[in-house]
Amino acid sequence: MTSPDLIHELQASRPEAPTTLRARVREMAAQEQKPPVRWPSFRLPVRRMALVALPAAAALAIASAGAIGLSRSDGDVAALRDEAAKGERLATTNVLDVYTGAFDRELLPLVISDTPQGSAVGATPTLASGKGAIGPDRNRATQFSATLTVEVSDSDAVSRAAQDALDLTRRLGGHVVSASVATGEEGSAALTVRVPVARVQEAIVQLSALGRIVSQQVTIADLQASLDVLERRARSVRAQIARIAARLESEPLDAETRAVLENRLKTLRSELRGLRRGISGTNAEARLATIQLGVVTPGVLGAVPVPTRLDRTLDEALNALVWEGVVALAVAIVAAPFALVAFAAWLGRRFYRRREDERLLAAS
Amino acid sequence: MHAVTLDTPRRASAAAPSFAAVAEELLDDVYGYLLYLTKNWALAEDLTGETFETALRRWRKFDPRRGTPRAWLLAIARSTALDWFRADARRRRREERAEAGEPREEAEHTFGEGFSPELEEGLRLLTAGEREVIALRVVLELDGESTARLLDITETAVSTRLHRALGKLEERMRQDDVA
Repeated sequence: MTSPDLIHELQASRPEAPTTLRARVREMAAQEQKPPVRWPSFRLPVRRMALVALPAAAALAIASAGAIGLSRSDGDVAALRDEAAKGERLATTNVLDVYTGAFDRELLPLVISDTPQGSAVGATPTLASGKGAIGPDRNRATQFSATLTVEVSDSDAVSRAAQDALDLTRRLGGHVVSASVATGEEGSAALTVRVPVARVQEAIVQLSALGRIVSQQVTIADLQASLDVLERRARSVRAQIARIAARLESEPLDAETRAVLENRLKTLRSELRGLRRGISGTNAEARLATIQLGVVTPGVLGAVPVPTRLDRTLDEALNALVWEGVVALAVAIVAAPFALVAFAAWLGRRFYRRREDERLLAAS
Repeated sequence: MHAVTLDTPRRASAAAPSFAAVAEELLDDVYGYLLYLTKNWALAEDLTGETFETALRRWRKFDPRRGTPRAWLLAIARSTALDWFRADARRRRREERAEAGEPREEAEHTFGEGFSPELEEGLRLLTAGEREVIALRVVLELDGESTARLLDITETAVSTRLHRALGKLEERMRQDDVA
């Protein structure tokens, strides 16, 4: 028998249910109750559900993040402005150099800084003008240095202000130590000038008038004490030199003693020269004040603009999304082992059932 | 011939056939499948009745969009038969333990009417799995994809199993012809 014949015979001998069974099934089917009116079924297969659920969850996460961002962005705008102004102040406050010379505590420099609190210039007291102006003490030798930062409107104004500052310095009898002027979209200038201490207040007042004062700082270090030390030592050295010189001239000395005294005299004279140079340098330092002037445009200050509501909304939404992601990740990390175990159990059970079914069908 | 065709998955909006219509249409298919599977007409009748009882209970849950009533009923029939095979295997093990050493008399199963003795003998020598695939693919003329889904194997496995089963059956029938 060939395969087509066999198939033909198999199909020809297709079994038919016995009449008793047919009657039994008919009787059974007759008991079928009329199904209640069913609402349209919205059941979806798992894969389709996943296809819909994943984008839906992502959209929900983004929408909720957007809603959170929108609600939180409507915060205290004044507080934000204060925060921005604070950032600006931090950006413009000068770093103070701490004087760490070999002086007594009382000789540590007096540092006074004044930074406007984001208010108008007129309301800001300046250090070099007015009733409480701070200046060098004429009766003592001091190292006077000031740092000024003024803000001007644009790059052209920076050039003008720098030129005015240089002219002023020369007019007051001072000189320029260094000058750096950068022009462009955000211009800036940095000048270091030295002016006679007697005219430093005048200089500061005029330099402050070059623009809006952003910050100013005055440092006064007392040099008198060190000067006094130097002078005392110089007097002592001079006295020693006089005594040794007198001995060498008046006393009969042996050759060895004379050599020692002459050597000592030589050393003292050398020290005296050094002391004179020190006294001279200290006096020169005390005669001239150092002023560091910065001229900037608003952009250079690193002013932090108050963020717009859109920016704040986006920031908050992004934060919310990050947190949602963190939570989702945490849940996934916690649930993953359980899901894996469940999946493995399901696979194992399915595999076992199939093997069992195959065995049963092979044995029957 | 019935007015409804039960092989094509219906859209949800289409009027669903009644259980009675489905049972009337597919009774022979279910019985034939179970007869091939069990090679015992009496058992096939019992299992067919059980299959339709189960189907009636689950009829409300039947979703025409997910498959044809035929595939659905055959799946229930297969599950019912496998349950019976498992129960029978357990029963046999118990009996073997209880009557250890005593020869056990196997009941003589028959396919019933309509089969030639040679065909019946040939089918009897096949395994249930081989008879099952012949029933589905040859007798009920189910397509390969539906058969594979029902048996939870690949279409290639279905073809292989069918080819092997027909080969064995053909060989057996040829031997009978020679004899």
